[in-house]
Amino acid sequence: MKKFLSILLLGLLSLALYGCNDDTPTDRIEITFWHMSPVGSASFSDTRRIITEFNQSQDVYFVKGTGFSFWDYWDKIAVAISSRTAPDIGLSTIDDVPIRAEAGVLYNLSELIEADPDGIEIDQLYDSQLSFATYDGHLYALPFTATTRVLYYNLDMFTAAGLSADDVPTTWSELHTVAKQLDIVQGSSIQQLGFDPTYGNATYHGYLWQAGLDFFDEDLNPTLNTQGHIDVLQWMIDFNSEFTRSQLTAFGDANTMLGINPFAGERVAMMIEVDSLYQTIKEAGADFNFGVTSIPVPDDGGIRVNWGSGFSVEMYDNNKNTPDKKAGAWEFLKYLMSKDTQKDLSETNGWIMAHQGAMLEVAEGDAIMTRILEEVAYARDKVYVPYAPSWHGNDWQSYYNDALTGKKTAAQALADARANYLQKKANWEATR
Amino acid sequence: MGKTISIIKMRKQENLIGYLFASPWLFGLIVLGFFPILMSFYFSFTNYNMVSAPKIIWFENYRILLTNDNLFWKSLGITLYHVVIAVPLGIFVGLFLAFLLNSKIKGISIYRTLFYLPNVVSVVAMTLLWMWLFQPNFGLINQLLKPLYDLFKMEPLGWYLDQDLSKLTLILMGLWTAGGSMVIYLAQMQDIPVTLYESADIDGASWFKKMIHITLPLMTPSIFFNFIMGLIGSFQVFTIAYIMTGGGPSRSTYYYAYYLFDKMMNDNAMGMASAMAWILLVIVLIVTVFALRLNKYVFYLGEDS
Repeated sequence: MKKFLSILLLGLLSLALYGCNDDTPTDRIEITFWHMSPVGSASFSDTRRIITEFNQSQDVYFVKGTGFSFWDYWDKIAVAISSRTAPDIGLSTIDDVPIRAEAGVLYNLSELIEADPDGIEIDQLYDSQLSFATYDGHLYALPFTATTRVLYYNLDMFTAAGLSADDVPTTWSELHTVAKQLDIVQGSSIQQLGFDPTYGNATYHGYLWQAGLDFFDEDLNPTLNTQGHIDVLQWMIDFNSEFTRSQLTAFGDANTMLGINPFAGERVAMMIEVDSLYQTIKEAGADFNFGVTSIPVPDDGGIRVNWGSGFSVEMYDNNKNTPDKKAGAWEFLKYLMSKDTQKDLSETNGWIMAHQGAMLEVAEGDAIMTRILEEVAYARDKVYVPYAPSWHGNDWQSYYNDALTGKKTAAQALADARANYLQKKANWEATR
Repeated sequence: MGKTISIIKMRKQENLIGYLFASPWLFGLIVLGFFPILMSFYFSFTNYNMVSAPKIIWFENYRILLTNDNLFWKSLGITLYHVVIAVPLGIFVGLFLAFLLNSKIKGISIYRTLFYLPNVVSVVAMTLLWMWLFQPNFGLINQLLKPLYDLFKMEPLGWYLDQDLSKLTLILMGLWTAGGSMVIYLAQMQDIPVTLYESADIDGASWFKKMIHITLPLMTPSIFFNFIMGLIGSFQVFTIAYIMTGGGPSRSTYYYAYYLFDKMMNDNAMGMASAMAWILLVIVLIVTVFALRLNKYVFYLGEDS
């Protein structure tokens, strides 16, 4: 029995050791890299392959990748950065790069690029994204992925209503006219909805940008108190005024709770959504005809813009003075940002990568993807507001909701929201 | 002499072994418990965004929270509302269940198990389940109530999606776990000496009189215990709102603990969040001290009165 047990133990031990074969060869410098493809995720083995290819391409550095699920990743990286145990290289969000740059936890990439000008094809990256990664005139991160928002339209529903692809709206008034032709109501219940400005991934600030307005001025003071702001919100509220808000919420919510997007579920003819909905519809094997286009803009002087964001790739300075690791992380960063790897990563994760040339190759022959990529150039990220990092989310949602449900008028909701931002700003400044 | 020394030595050794065995717990208490508590006290006097080093600002966080933060008071009010309704209601339902299940019918242990079962379910799973039940459009509860809605010609209730009802919805949902306190009530109920009831029977007391004059007074220790625990727990209510309502609609379920969480997660204001935690501790302490005064109305069996 004892013998059996010790053999079993030995067997398990060797299995465990075998599992650790990722260990860094002793003659190499270990570089740690955190990503979002944990063991068990669909993209795990390809991510691992991409890392392994780098490790095999040279014999100085050895990159050890660790994957966390998207939902866990942010807490892990935040804790690691604040405890100065961050990986040598990792992913984060691009809109708040300045907060980390200011805290001195990121390496200045501009210096590295200057010393190694051919390392990164900067001209292949989007200017708007690069500006978000810039702090005090220097790059502290590189855009890694990009997202964008487009108008999805269901061509079958258009045909059924006697419309065609030529009728796809480009302005807000066209949008309203076309949407009304696509509404189908039976008795008092909605069967099909043309469009609703509150559905999908549309946001109030997105519409504001199209109208040449914003939440904040250049000094990050909340604006929100002009007639223009009120008009845009009122437009959103009134778009489907023939239905009650609870009817509209119920119609959208019923699908969302089942995990089905109302557009993918063929209940809504047009919807503003992020690029990844295309991937979702494809994977679900949907058999309806659809297309994507730019989000319609206000009739007078509307601006073609959409809210897009992305992951950044950053090199973390844990203040441990490790030039070897810094050099290694830079080598790996160059590899990650190279056209081939970016292409590979896009095909692995279904992400839009930051490298434009790589994405053009990925999208070749795919009309919808090509159209989505066109919109990335018009994507703009939300500004990082240190006193209200979640200004578009939690800080705004309750006022938005009050306005939609009619609990407050658009003007009142905006005034209250503004007062809240002002209070947050004053309090933030008091603790500086 | 030699014998004494060896006994002292043995005692020392025994102590050492004792500490050794207790060490995992001690480690947990000091490192995982006491250290974070101390750190949060320190952070509450700093401006700390979890990236840069904390900067000491003394009482500024406390001043801001108490004098210039509308949401602080709003979330505290919402929490108090929850405490004031949920705690008594929880006690009432727990007691009611205990009374029902304190009988000798066939299969009573099965019923008791059934009522206790919800406590075994994780809060997250429970909340998701109730979300489906309370869903205004296709949830089971509104389907069952449909005849009533038709009868009174009213709009179906919006439950957790209606900002006037959301707080009550969450409280109602919380009653599902009343079986936890029921078990404690039941244990105490069965501890009451039968002789008391027998002598009451001889004196011709009715069922109601027996309940008012024997059962309830002798139940007060467990009621008191559940009351105090309920108070402390209710002040920290968070999970159900986080999963079910996201603090909404329109911040109607934005509890204190939720605001604290957002201060840390959304505003990156760890210092402010720590200050909120300490303010909550003080509030809970004060409320508990007052609640403990009720102890004089508690009857402990076997004590001289």
